[in-house]
Amino acid sequence: MSEGEVAEKKNSLGFWRSSINPWAVRTKDNPERLAFVFHRISGFLIIAFLLAHILETDSPVWSQLIYHVNGWTFWNHLMAIEAGLAFRVGEFIIAGAVLFHAPNGIRLLLSEFFGVGIGRPGDPKPPYVPGTFTASQRTWLYAVFVVWIALWIFAGIIIFT
Amino acid sequence: MAMDIEAARRTPPKEVVVRVRRYDPETKKTWWQEFKVEARRGMTVLDALLKIKEEQDHTLVLRYSCRQGICGSCGMVINGTPRLACQTQLAEVASEARPVITVEPLYNFPVIRDLVTNFTEFFNKHRSVKPYLIRKDKEEQENPKGQYDMFPDEYYQIYQYSSCVYCGLCYAACPVVAADPQFLGPQALMYALRFVNDVRDEAWGERLIMVDTEHGCHRCHFAASCSAVCPKAVDPAGAIQALRSKVFKYRLHLFKRRVSKVIGPPPEKGERVPLPPEATLLPGVDLKKLEQEPVVIQLPPE
Amino acid sequence: MAGRASNIQLWQYITAILLIGLLGFHLLERVPWIWGLSTIDQTLTAAFVYHGYTSYGWALLLLAYVALFHGLNGVRGMLLELRQGRLYTTTINVLFWIVFIVFAAIATLTVAKLPPY
Repeated sequence: MSEGEVAEKKNSLGFWRSSINPWAVRTKDNPERLAFVFHRISGFLIIAFLLAHILETDSPVWSQLIYHVNGWTFWNHLMAIEAGLAFRVGEFIIAGAVLFHAPNGIRLLLSEFFGVGIGRPGDPKPPYVPGTFTASQRTWLYAVFVVWIALWIFAGIIIFT
Repeated sequence: MAMDIEAARRTPPKEVVVRVRRYDPETKKTWWQEFKVEARRGMTVLDALLKIKEEQDHTLVLRYSCRQGICGSCGMVINGTPRLACQTQLAEVASEARPVITVEPLYNFPVIRDLVTNFTEFFNKHRSVKPYLIRKDKEEQENPKGQYDMFPDEYYQIYQYSSCVYCGLCYAACPVVAADPQFLGPQALMYALRFVNDVRDEAWGERLIMVDTEHGCHRCHFAASCSAVCPKAVDPAGAIQALRSKVFKYRLHLFKRRVSKVIGPPPEKGERVPLPPEATLLPGVDLKKLEQEPVVIQLPPE
Repeated sequence: MAGRASNIQLWQYITAILLIGLLGFHLLERVPWIWGLSTIDQTLTAAFVYHGYTSYGWALLLLAYVALFHGLNGVRGMLLELRQGRLYTTTINVLFWIVFIVFAAIATLTVAKLPPY
């Protein structure tokens, strides 16, 4: 910066704050932002799990090469470890992530790719409620939250009993 | 943001504490400063800030112009929400229980001083989507001999988006702009759709390719904060989703749209446009008599 | 790279549609009552899993490819938001394909070289 030039101050919230905190910018009547943060966090959890899961399901093959044991014996040994409570809690969290990501993904697919459920442009009048917030995607979003909680409880019953 | 229409009728607390986040470019210092302002009914945050500037601290810098939500200059972050200061009633953001208002410069814009932010990048992005009509017939566009036809439903495809006041609130609320400075932002993408939707425009292909980049419309994740803070219900979030689905339609060769034709020249100045036959006068009105003896409204003497 | 963004994004949506069906099926595999079992652990025994691989291994393999693409592309999008720059973008794009190919190969190996039970 040359002398005499005005020193401007960067004022961005940054990636982490805006990706993790749904209230980084306090907006009213905006559950979509909550859904955005949940979608991002759940997506990250799922891909982390998926990479581990691919290695885990490949264990009958790689255990033969590395430990020279029967692959399926090793599999049963692995499953015995994963029956522990810590792994079950982990599975429960991943189930919650998947069960939110999928219904919300359907909603995003419909509105982003097919362009439906976002209302039609019109003639805005006071109190200036945007059309997207009264369109059907908002109803779908509430349905996503309901479906998510219901399925998550069901998944919890399966995992912990 | 959906307006609280009743707020102007409510009475704010007698004294409001305004906490302003200030910045001095010479010393590069940022600090919070508190001012106590006597509030009255109908007072906006902009009024309070101007009162502070007049009576308490002349060095407070802010940008404003019309005071009625038309120019879009006074966008700032009030209590964590990007809003127009002139449209925010003190009664809306302060209460007897919590008479403190925090005022910050808009997020995601570089701060020049105090509450004034630099919009250069924002307007450059707006310009980058070519926000003007483009016709294939350049000769006709430069020397128009007629007007473009447009039906009311086609007009409503662009009307909402044209009411954008470039206040930058959507840009300040967007979580993607906060992370990715190259992202075009809600306003520019919304304006791209405004011209893609416009039947008078013929450059939709160019615009749809322009926004189809890694930092274009695909970076939007539909957090819809832009729509939540928009003071004019322009609804950029919905616009970006519509734009994106049009990008895919265009890429899959399914995008079709009417282009308006040039119709006859506009009527000459002074030429009377004849009334359609179904238009009738109000009962008891004699047009010829009215033209001969025009009604003169007499003002009462002072 | 201009103009390529919608291609990969289009695949993101196609894989999303496929995932709804494939992952839905994969999750139902773990619901014990459908298979006449009583706990989730009984759906994870070597016999049950081996039976799954021999009957519809192709579906599980397709699920692995599709989920990997969808997930890694999602992470790629996040990383492109985190930082910008030509070298950085190229590195992320190359890494995306490397991780995709490595893990897709591991998944293929699972189905192709599965030891008999």
